[in-house]
Amino acid sequence: MSRNLLLHFRPQQISAAALRFTLTWGLGGMAALMIVQQLVTGLLLDIFYHPLPVQAYESVQHIQSTIFLGRLVRNLHHWIGHVLIVVVLLHLLRVFLSGAFYSSRRANWLVGLGLAALVLLANFSGYLLPWDQLSYWAVTIATSMLSYIPLIGIPCQELIRGGTDVGAATLQLFYFIHTSFVPATLFFLMTYHFWFVRKAGGVLISGNKTTDKQEKRNLVPVVPNLLVRELSFAAIVTSVIVIFSMRFDAPLGAMANPHLTPESVKAPWYFLGAQELLLHAPPLVAVFFLPLFIGSFLILLPFVKTVEDKTHPLLKTLVLIGFGFLLILTITGIWFRGPGMRLMWPW
Amino acid sequence: MAMVENVSSSRRSFLTKIWIGLGVVALLQFFTGAVTYFGSGRKQAEKKPVTLLQAGIITDFPPGSVTPIAKGHLYLNCLDDGSFLAISRKCTHLGCAVPWIEERKQFECPCHASVFDITGAVLKSPAPRALDLYTVSFEKNMVMINTSNPIKRTSFTHDQLVYAPKPS
Repeated sequence: MSRNLLLHFRPQQISAAALRFTLTWGLGGMAALMIVQQLVTGLLLDIFYHPLPVQAYESVQHIQSTIFLGRLVRNLHHWIGHVLIVVVLLHLLRVFLSGAFYSSRRANWLVGLGLAALVLLANFSGYLLPWDQLSYWAVTIATSMLSYIPLIGIPCQELIRGGTDVGAATLQLFYFIHTSFVPATLFFLMTYHFWFVRKAGGVLISGNKTTDKQEKRNLVPVVPNLLVRELSFAAIVTSVIVIFSMRFDAPLGAMANPHLTPESVKAPWYFLGAQELLLHAPPLVAVFFLPLFIGSFLILLPFVKTVEDKTHPLLKTLVLIGFGFLLILTITGIWFRGPGMRLMWPW
Repeated sequence: MAMVENVSSSRRSFLTKIWIGLGVVALLQFFTGAVTYFGSGRKQAEKKPVTLLQAGIITDFPPGSVTPIAKGHLYLNCLDDGSFLAISRKCTHLGCAVPWIEERKQFECPCHASVFDITGAVLKSPAPRALDLYTVSFEKNMVMINTSNPIKRTSFTHDQLVYAPKPS
């Protein structure tokens, strides 16, 4: 029974060429591993967390100071959450560059976009939960960006906040999204994502054609060839994260105070590109048309007519330029903006 | 024979269409139900009756003063000519709380360095418009502020100022 179920996700044999690390850089597997790690650490945190203002902050303090290994569990959940976004974005970029989103992989590209959106949503909804100054004001700023969308902006903002300001209703909603909606949907979409990869015949083998053709026919058993590679990579990634989390603490500022905005408060880093753009471009472009354009571009991408399912080099260049542009904006926003958004050196 | 086939296939496709139509209706019902369920629970926190906040005695606010009223998340400003103005503390750019800087006599947002003068008018962007306004009224010698609905404005105009009644 379980053997048959597993066959939906993994074949018994794969071509030797598919084992090459640089085909995927292990990014998809790393994302899946981290999602499982988030589930485990998240459940552990949830045992002691209270989703109410004041109590939320106190419960996080309690987790950090009195619970056995509580600080480490929170650090892990915090850092994995941030790294996961980077990994998911790199995975998306890798799949795009290897052109693995045409014909049989088209549906999976869309499922993947859904997963990426869910990971972003998970991180953003989790941002508010510690209820410290940083989380309160970062969420205030990020949800304020919505108000620049014409007509539906302010009603949307009030629906999300459950009032005019970020408060108890916002925390309750974000807690629900973070601990119920996202995990359930994520799990459902993930099973599809893996099954679609299997259906499309495994990872796309690109690169040098003449040598690969021989290797492609050369089938090797998944156990142990693939399994050992995956497990050792997972072990390396996990050790790096655990060591990092033992060394660096997740930030926890003073308790949220709606009366006082601290100096140099910023939106979550993955929104800093949009916030940076907000300083230079008309608000409507920065928070509405640009995200709308990026979103529809990614959704429509696999439906563009191509020759032999090859991405046009010009398209690749354009996407890389766009990605680089967003990267520069984000890096400026994270490290080169001091108090009052003045440009400054990060050292 | 061909006629019969046509009839049966059109009947079948008709029934299929009805099923699809019913399915769409059911989905829409579920969707509106879910949205209303969600919305009705959220609206309650939002709808407040008109709340008049008693800020204090008129003479507590000398000309040229800015007094933070913590309860209403606002400032009660008394300008040099003795007129009153209640302005929101929420920056119109991205909603940060703006503190009053006494030395420079202006509001400076800590988030993106927007600057407002004592009337709430924008001195320095990125803030797109002046700070929101609350209605000020007087009851006997008390200053009352209607905190239930902030009034949006693009800039400061003199008709926004409220003068206290002359003591009789």
